[in-house]
Amino acid sequence: MDYFVNVTLTGLTQGMIYSAFALALVLIWRSTRIVNFAQGSMAAATTFIALALIQAGQSYWVALVVALASGFVLGAIVERVIIRPVEGGPELNAVIVTLGLFVAIQAGIAIVFGSSFQSFPTPFGVRGFEVGGTTIPLTPTSLYVIGSVLLVMALLVALFRFTRIGLAMRASAFSQEVARLLGVKVGGMLTLGWGLAAVVGSLSGLLIAGGTFVWPAYMDALIVFGFVAAIIGGLDSPVGAIVGGLILGLALSYVSGYAPRGSALVNISALVILIVVLLVRPGGLFSSTTARRA
Amino acid sequence: MTAFAAATVASTLAACGGGDEGGGGTAAEGGENEASDIGVTEDTITLGAHYPLTGVAAPGYSEIPTGVQAYFDCLNQEGGVYGRDVEFVYKDDAYNPTQTSQVTNELVLEDEIFAMMGGLGTPTHSAVVDFLNAEGVPDLFVASGSLTWGDDPETYPYTFGWQTDYMSEGKIIGEYIAENFPEAKVGLFLQDDDFGEDGEAGIRQYIDDQIVAAERYTPGNTSVGPQIAALQAAGADFVVGFNVPSYTALSQLTALQLGYQPQWFYSNVGSDPTLVGGLLNRFSEGKVADAALLDGALTTGYLPTVDQTDNPWIQEFQRIWDECGGEGELTNYRVYGMAQAYTTTQALQAAGQNPTRDGLVEAIEAVGSEWEGPVFAPFRYSEDSHMGTSGMSIERIVGNGSEVVQDVRVTDIGDAPIEEFDKEPATPPANAIPDEEPYEG
Repeated sequence: MDYFVNVTLTGLTQGMIYSAFALALVLIWRSTRIVNFAQGSMAAATTFIALALIQAGQSYWVALVVALASGFVLGAIVERVIIRPVEGGPELNAVIVTLGLFVAIQAGIAIVFGSSFQSFPTPFGVRGFEVGGTTIPLTPTSLYVIGSVLLVMALLVALFRFTRIGLAMRASAFSQEVARLLGVKVGGMLTLGWGLAAVVGSLSGLLIAGGTFVWPAYMDALIVFGFVAAIIGGLDSPVGAIVGGLILGLALSYVSGYAPRGSALVNISALVILIVVLLVRPGGLFSSTTARRA
Repeated sequence: MTAFAAATVASTLAACGGGDEGGGGTAAEGGENEASDIGVTEDTITLGAHYPLTGVAAPGYSEIPTGVQAYFDCLNQEGGVYGRDVEFVYKDDAYNPTQTSQVTNELVLEDEIFAMMGGLGTPTHSAVVDFLNAEGVPDLFVASGSLTWGDDPETYPYTFGWQTDYMSEGKIIGEYIAENFPEAKVGLFLQDDDFGEDGEAGIRQYIDDQIVAAERYTPGNTSVGPQIAALQAAGADFVVGFNVPSYTALSQLTALQLGYQPQWFYSNVGSDPTLVGGLLNRFSEGKVADAALLDGALTTGYLPTVDQTDNPWIQEFQRIWDECGGEGELTNYRVYGMAQAYTTTQALQAAGQNPTRDGLVEAIEAVGSEWEGPVFAPFRYSEDSHMGTSGMSIERIVGNGSEVVQDVRVTDIGDAPIEEFDKEPATPPANAIPDEEPYEG
C-alpha cells in the first residue's frame, strides 16, 4: 500500500512537471499556431541565467524575476529576428527553424555556461512530508511546483477568455489576414505571444530544475513528454495540458513501478498512451473543435 | 590524401637496432627513428580517442582527455617516447554511438592514428570495436569496465581493457558484504545494460540469498522514484548501485524525498565524491540540513584519488597538471586520464624504437602483466586475456575523500577465486615517466 502511494505521488509530481512545459507549448500554439521545438532550450537558457545570478549571491526570487524577464525578451527577439522571415510561408518552415534553434541555443548554453552538471537550488525543502510516521514523496518543493503550475494555468485561461489582448492574439494566430482587416496589430500580437510563451517556458524550466540538476540538455527528455502531454490535452487547452501531464505522469510512474523492467518501458508507454488517446479523440482530450487548422 | 604514402612502408623493419638502450624516456642512440607504421613518423606518434565532450555523459568524463593531454605534453617536454612526441587527437562523440563511428572513421582514415587510446563508453565503443579490429588498429585501454574488451582476444585481437571489469568488481563487493554484513537485506540499483548485468552477475556469486530486490533504471529516465520506492518496499537496508554519477545523485535525492536511509554502496563508476557531493552539497546550503548525503557510503577503488594528497602518484599528477594542464583543478577524472596515458606510454616503450601496430599488441600481451603504475593491482594481459587490472580496494566516503576499509583484493571473471593482494604499491619513477625495456619477441 505504501508502495502504491509512493508511486502515485511520484507520478503526480512528475506529471505536474510535464504539465508546466505543456502549458508553454499550448500558449505558443494558441497565440502563433507554431509548434515551438526550441521552447526547451530557450527555457534552459533562462534557467542558466537564473543559476548564474544565484551563484553570484542573489536570492532565488530575484533570479526568478530576471529569468522570466529575460525569457520574455528572448522570446520576442526570436520571433522578430528568426521566425518573422519565415512566417506566412509554409507551416513546416517555421517548425524546422525552431528545430535548428533548439540545437543552436543548447550549444550556446554549453559555450557560455559550460556543460557540467550543476545543482539548482529550490526555495523550499526537498524532504518528503511525514504522514503518520512514514515519509511520503511529496515535498514542499513539489507543492510549490503544483501551486505555480495551477496559477499559470488560471492566468492563461483568464487571458484568452476574458481579455481583448487574448482575443486579438488568438485572432492573429488563427488568421492573420482577417485579424489585420479587423484592426488587430498582427505583428505585435505575434511578438507578444512568443514573449509570453517564453515567460511560461522559463517558469517551467525553473520549476523543473528546482531541487535537481541542470546541464545544457536537461530539458531534452521533458520536451518529449511535455509535447505528449500537450497533444493528449488537445494542444489548444490549458486545462488539457494539465490533465494530459497528470495522466502521462501517473501512467508512466505505474509502468515504471509495476511492469517488469518498467523503467525501460517508460518511453514506449508514452507513445502507446499518445496513440490510444489520438485514436479515441483525434484532436486530443480537450480539443474545442476537431480538425481545425490555421 | 596521399600524405601517408611514406608512413605505410617500413612496418617490417621495426626495432632492429634499438636493443640495448633500455628505457624509452629519452631519444634512442642506437638506431634511426623510422616511419615504421601508419601514424608513426621520425618524430611523432599519433594516438586517437573518442569522448563525450558534450551531452548527458559529458560531466566528469569530458575532463579525462585534458588529463591525458597534460600527461603527454609533459612527457613530450622530457623527450617523448624514443624522441618522438606523442600527439593525442580526441574527438567528441556526445556519447552517441553513431557519432562514435563517424569520429573513429575520421581518426583512422583521415588523421591516420597509430592506435586508439582510452575510447570511452560501452555502447559507444561497441559501435567501433569491429571496425578497429578489421582495420588492425590497436585499440588500447577502452575506458569502460565491460567484459567485451578483454575476455575474448580471438574475436578482438587488437582491443584491450584497462580498468577493473564490472563482474570482478561485483564479486569483490559481494564477498565484502557476505563477510561484513551477513545479516543485511541487499537491494540492487542497476543500470539496465551490460554495466548492471555484469555487476549483478558478480555480486550474486556471493550473496544471492541476501538479495531482496534488483531494480533497473534506463539511462535517460530522470525519474527513479518508483525504483527507489520498490527497494524501500522490499525492505532492503543495504543498497548496491551499479550506476553512473548522475544517478547516484538522483538516487540520493529520491531517497531523501522518501525518507529512505539504507547503507549505500556505489560501484566505482558512480561514486566520485567530488562530483556527486558537489551536486548534493548545493542543496544542503539551502534547506537540506545534513552536510554531505554521501558521507558514510561505501565504494571501490583501483586508482589513488585526488584527496590522497600524500600519495606519491597524486603528487606527481598534481605537478603535471600544474605544469602542463589547462584550466581548472586536478580531478579524479583527470587522474584517470593521466593513469591511462601512463600505461599507454609503457606500451609504446615496450613496442620498441620503431613500433608497428602488431608489434605493439604483441608487446602488451607479452609484458603488460608485469607493468607497475598508479593502478593498485596488475593487469591481466596475456595471449588469452586482454582484461585490464584485476583488483579493488573498498573505501568509505568521508566528506569529499575516502578511507580504506578493505585492502586491495584481486580476482578474475567467471568463478575465479578472490585473493588478497599484498604487494607494496609502486612508487612513481622520475617525472612519472615509465622506463620499460623494449620487448624483443
